[in-house]
Amino acid sequence: MAATATPEVRPGIHRDEETDSRTDLEPGYRVICWNDPVNLMDYVTHVFQVVFGWQRQKAEVHMMQVHKQGKSVLTRESMEKAEFYVHQLQKYSLHATMERD
Amino acid sequence: MKLIRTRQEKLVFEISLPEKRLLFEVLKLYPLISATHHRLSKTVKTAKHDENQRLLEESLAAQRQENRKNVRAMLNEPGRFQAAASGFQLTLSGPEIEWLLQVLNDVRVGSWIALGSPDPEQGKKIVFNEQILPHFRMMELAGAFETVFLDALSGHPPVE
Repeated sequence: MAATATPEVRPGIHRDEETDSRTDLEPGYRVICWNDPVNLMDYVTHVFQVVFGWQRQKAEVHMMQVHKQGKSVLTRESMEKAEFYVHQLQKYSLHATMERD
Repeated sequence: MKLIRTRQEKLVFEISLPEKRLLFEVLKLYPLISATHHRLSKTVKTAKHDENQRLLEESLAAQRQENRKNVRAMLNEPGRFQAAASGFQLTLSGPEIEWLLQVLNDVRVGSWIALGSPDPEQGKKIVFNEQILPHFRMMELAGAFETVFLDALSGHPPVE
């Protein structure tokens, strides 16, 4: 029977600077839609309704923010969910990104 | 082109022969936006993020390939466009209209990019010449078809 060796690296001490699973799971990412003047207002409203399941009124508020202020923060999510929403919006060719809070 | 009725969760559009030709012309251009056009983030820069950006591009490319396949299938599907007195009747389901909207907006945004991404409100106007005229035409045509489909999805009553 092999003796139990003391591990050289204790679990929980090493910290990866680039990946932090704790913060990745927290809603630390803003999903932003930026204004592209080519997109039709009704189209942007429709995409917000489809992607986020919003009522038309809420979708229109965010669409008008994009139109008038150049961008709108659509939601705050974990990294994984933010990536999902950005991907869904980009499938419709909207200019969307995720940014850290 | 106009919505004439809804039938068993499908929407039936009346489309004339010239309109059908224009729709095919627009759809055949897809995809116009390059796979690397979209960025996951403007500010987040990590190795993990670069990997996720690569995955995003792969995923969008796969999505486009699927849409392209669907477009070709639709254009060639027998019976999709039923001959009618005023031209044709085009029957589409809700999900089919969704991917058609994605396809049309790719052509619209891609044409806009080819025009130099004009923004009249920011003083960036289109300077017309023979080279860019086809892009302008396609941008406007794609937008016109989008409007018909959006009106139909938003519950506007059919025009008989």
